[in-house]
Amino acid sequence: MAARTATAPGAPTTKIGKAAYEFDERMLLTPWLRRTLNKVYPDHWSFLLGEIALYSFLILLLSGTYLTFFFDASMREVVYDGSYAPLRGVEMSAAYDSALSLSFDVRGGLFMRQLHHWAALLFVAAIVVHLLRIFFTGAFRRPRDTNWLIGVVMLVLALLMGVTGYSLPDDLLSGTGLRIISAILLSVPVIGTWAHFAVFNGDFVGEQIIGRFYIVHVLLIPAILLALIGLHLLILVKQKHTQFPGAGRTEHNVVGNRLFPTFAAKATGLIFVVFGVCAALGGLVQINPIWLWGPYNPAQVSAASQPDWYIGFLDGSTRIFPPWDINLPGDYTVPALFWPTVVIAGAMFTLLALYPIIERKLTGDTASHHLLQRPRDVPVRTALGAMGLTFYLWLMVAGGNDVIADKFDISLNAMTWAGRIGVVILPPIAYVITYRICLGLQQHDREVLEHGIETGVIRRLPHGEFIEVHQPLGPVDEHGHGLLAYGGAPVPKRMNHIGGARRAIRGFFRPIEEPAQVELEQRAEGRGLAAAEDRELTTSGRPSEGGRPSEGGRPQEPRD
Amino acid sequence: MSTTNPQSEAALDEGGAATGDPARRARARRRSKQRRRLANVGGLMAALVLTGALYSVFSPAQAADEGSESAAEAAGRDLYERSCITCHGENLEGVNNRGPSLIGVGEAAVYFQVHTGRMPLARQEADAHDKPAVFSDEEIDQLMAYVQANGGGPTLPSGDLRDGDLAEGGELFRLNCASCHNFVGQGGALSSGKSAPSLQDASDLEIYTAMLSGPENMPVFGDNQLTPDEKRAIINYVQTIKAQADPGGAGIGRIGPVGEGLVIWVVGIGALLFGIFWMGSKA
Amino acid sequence: MTTRDTRPGSTGGADVPGELYGGPDDDYTPEQLAAMSREDLDRLGAHYDHVEILHVDAGPEPGSPMEKRAIRQVGMVFAAAGLFAFLFVVVYAGSGWFLPDWHWQVTEGGWSALFTPLLGLLMGLSLLCVGVGLVLFTKKLLPHETAVQDKHDGSHFDRVTTGATFVGAFHNSGLARRKLITRSLLLMGGGVGLMLIMPLGGLIKNPNKGNPLGTTNWAEGVRLVRNDGTPIRPGDQQPGSLETVFPAVPGGNRQADAATMLIRLRPEQVEQLQPRVGHGDFAYGEYVAYSKICTHAGCPVSLYEQETSRILCPCHQSQFDVTQGAKPVFGPATRPLPQLPLDVDDEGFFIARSDYIEAVGPTYWNRERI
Repeated sequence: MAARTATAPGAPTTKIGKAAYEFDERMLLTPWLRRTLNKVYPDHWSFLLGEIALYSFLILLLSGTYLTFFFDASMREVVYDGSYAPLRGVEMSAAYDSALSLSFDVRGGLFMRQLHHWAALLFVAAIVVHLLRIFFTGAFRRPRDTNWLIGVVMLVLALLMGVTGYSLPDDLLSGTGLRIISAILLSVPVIGTWAHFAVFNGDFVGEQIIGRFYIVHVLLIPAILLALIGLHLLILVKQKHTQFPGAGRTEHNVVGNRLFPTFAAKATGLIFVVFGVCAALGGLVQINPIWLWGPYNPAQVSAASQPDWYIGFLDGSTRIFPPWDINLPGDYTVPALFWPTVVIAGAMFTLLALYPIIERKLTGDTASHHLLQRPRDVPVRTALGAMGLTFYLWLMVAGGNDVIADKFDISLNAMTWAGRIGVVILPPIAYVITYRICLGLQQHDREVLEHGIETGVIRRLPHGEFIEVHQPLGPVDEHGHGLLAYGGAPVPKRMNHIGGARRAIRGFFRPIEEPAQVELEQRAEGRGLAAAEDRELTTSGRPSEGGRPSEGGRPQEPRD
Repeated sequence: MSTTNPQSEAALDEGGAATGDPARRARARRRSKQRRRLANVGGLMAALVLTGALYSVFSPAQAADEGSESAAEAAGRDLYERSCITCHGENLEGVNNRGPSLIGVGEAAVYFQVHTGRMPLARQEADAHDKPAVFSDEEIDQLMAYVQANGGGPTLPSGDLRDGDLAEGGELFRLNCASCHNFVGQGGALSSGKSAPSLQDASDLEIYTAMLSGPENMPVFGDNQLTPDEKRAIINYVQTIKAQADPGGAGIGRIGPVGEGLVIWVVGIGALLFGIFWMGSKA
Repeated sequence: MTTRDTRPGSTGGADVPGELYGGPDDDYTPEQLAAMSREDLDRLGAHYDHVEILHVDAGPEPGSPMEKRAIRQVGMVFAAAGLFAFLFVVVYAGSGWFLPDWHWQVTEGGWSALFTPLLGLLMGLSLLCVGVGLVLFTKKLLPHETAVQDKHDGSHFDRVTTGATFVGAFHNSGLARRKLITRSLLLMGGGVGLMLIMPLGGLIKNPNKGNPLGTTNWAEGVRLVRNDGTPIRPGDQQPGSLETVFPAVPGGNRQADAATMLIRLRPEQVEQLQPRVGHGDFAYGEYVAYSKICTHAGCPVSLYEQETSRILCPCHQSQFDVTQGAKPVFGPATRPLPQLPLDVDDEGFFIARSDYIEAVGPTYWNRERI
């Protein structure tokens, strides 16, 4: 007898039921709520990458709010008189002073600072991994090109958040970066000096920049990001998530778990896992020890000065770009610094944002797609992506070239040359290699579909020939070749993918299931190894000698 | 054997008058010449012996090796002539394309180079790397004495080398040293294969003598540029920073964003990837 | 006051059901719904949301060893999460009270240096346990359901009707033919838009007024001083040394563009000295002074290799040759470091003969025009 609900004709009976009823009287939420609870989300692990970015952002909001209670975004000169002895008596900005006192004089302050900074690094890293997944599976195709554009804009905003954020403490490391930002602004032709004077309120360094970075970092960009994230998720929910091709999956449905309870439980679990990783890093691994760097002084600098990892590619491009000023008539100059900073960054992000349109034009594919593609099935896109990634990674490596030169005893000049030459020749090489690998994987898929899975079982035929037994995946024609077409889903390549292995018996010290019970369940399923053992194998097992569905799937006697 | 004896060739008898026939006169001349020579030599020898005796009687008492060098210097010279002379020359004047002159470098330079094992150089290359010292402390003292005696130069300091203001040392370090050696002395790359070494294993005296002598490509920081007090402040800062713990957890090399980026990708994204493999499905 | 109040505006209210207008409330009466089981209602609602439950793998059998094991696991993980959280609270609140003080001094390596790592470890473990527990619960104890939801692409009906509403209103406004209004609207839009962003003009400053980019605080007769303010004599530095010097003006050592490198060349370097054209007399004997601000991106250049006569910038590895007027010999820099002309005043201290004769620091559009 199924349980009865409390909704008898009329009013609810329990207290909670009554409260819910009253709530809905006012908010009229139930249609939306039921629709939302019933929404189906596919379950693939790679669909959780965007969530990691989202939850890192949440952690940043919370920890960042805490930090604003203690940080003083002022460039007023003060003399340090706090608890860190090696800086006592040193002149510094109030911003740096407040960051030091947060680190040393606030209970748990250093932990929160580090948590915030690690979450920031994780935020951008998760965005990048998520972007790669979207790119390589073709999820950016219509109708999700708008969401892709929003995503690229959010990536740029995340980078800006990072830069404005780590520059706030006004330490020697980030101050050096600030000087370079000043030079980049100056390098823009025609309007560069005007742009610089607008941003810095004059010549470098002025007295405004930290305060301006602060308001950009805690108000302006977070507001835009929140709006964009909301839009990004809204579009995702309305369009429904994409899914990989597979059993029962079409362009017109979504197969997976309903939001409640499964998906919500897992998502909540992921929130805590991400938070846990950030917290663990925030305490166990030191990050941005500003007391070791010292306060910013325009006459001081350290060897091995790098920006945070996500700006590393720009540092690398700046290091390896040759000294090519363009001297125009009239004594105007386009500084060499313009190209590897403004132009390369602009070009990369523009290309990224426009990629869906470019691919549409090149492939002529203007249809809406809700099924994903395996990277191997689109070798050109995958190879282009590998090429772009190689370019980006090589620039990042070039950004750390002095650290690599020092730690691995390589000439610094040689590292610069390696950067220059590598950035030109490595991407095409990556393209070619990736393309060939994709083709190879595609061919293997089709080979398995045609010839079946290699079982590893070797048989010797009566006339002396050795053969390996192959397990066909489906119906075969009269030559023994499989009739299944490739459908875009992963092809099983091992016997345990098609039930050729026993179910594991659970237990830690002792099995908690009876082996006999497990075997009974398996035989009851009617397929798999346990069921197959009931059949005697008397032939070679080759499909051409039997094993066809018309013969009941059992191999026959060999025909001469 | 002819002498320009002012006395004439004419034989002289005891009376001094020339007598006899030519052959007898010649023999007599030869005999008296020999006798005069002997007399001259004997007189000279007598005069010399007399002078020497008088000298040794009346001169003040001298140390055993007066006039050349002390025992340490002599031992130093020995070591030098076995290990250093090939590149630095017989008189410390240097050899073209091999080694610079050591005249005027002083014992501070010798201490730094030899105590850190940079000298003797393993091979001609861009950078002299520190390696286990070849010479013992005593031998280093001897080399120091030898080089100092042959040209002079900056000497070793004395007293507590950390007796300086910690914060001032930090400011001076960041202004003068951090650009090559990094904020906390982790070292850094220089052009074309050279490097500014890490200070993690450097002792107080090694740092002091390095500043004073400006080894290889390091600039020289003379005592009028960085006073001895300022040098002590810098050493205090470096050694304090080296010894201090990392209150924020594992220091990961203290080189900044490069290490942090590696950690977030390998540890952070790595751990989370494992997590989502577990949480989600695979096909 | 009841629903039986008969005053105008008070009777019944919305609790009196209105007309039926379609939707699932028409198809199912409350009595029918009350007769259905909870599971059936769930599937019915899902059906209305175009979701079909394909297959449910029930969780482990109630009372089975599998279920007990899973419950134990999940319970222990949640308990561990709580335990770690409490330990966090103990460490956080107790440090300085019944635990050693958390204030860290530079010389300490004990509890105070472990305070932050402990906080991170405990919070991290606690939160990880919560997350892991939730996922374990989902995987091991919840039924595994496979559901399908139909997608509905854009409704043609909606598009057509919405379009009609929009276009109809536009047509009714007559704007298409009332051109004076549309044109004045354009003027209005342009004007109001400009007006609203005009206050941002307060940010704009003229970079060419007074040429701040091209001048520094160096001037004729200004002494070279160290960071602590002491002036410098020739002879204070050894050959092969570099000292950072500043102009002897108030705040000179905090100016972003005034830092200068005073270098005393060694005799071998003096022999190879090839000053830039027009800079022949800028040196003072074996002393040369160059701007410390890199002409590439503005970092302080400062890595002086006295044997190779190179100054290396640590930011992007530009290298400048001090015997050739600090001209760039490697790396991305394009312009030599500006040279400060030196002299010595009556008391024997170094002075500048004038400001730098070109702009200090990174290149910009009209650098060469000043």
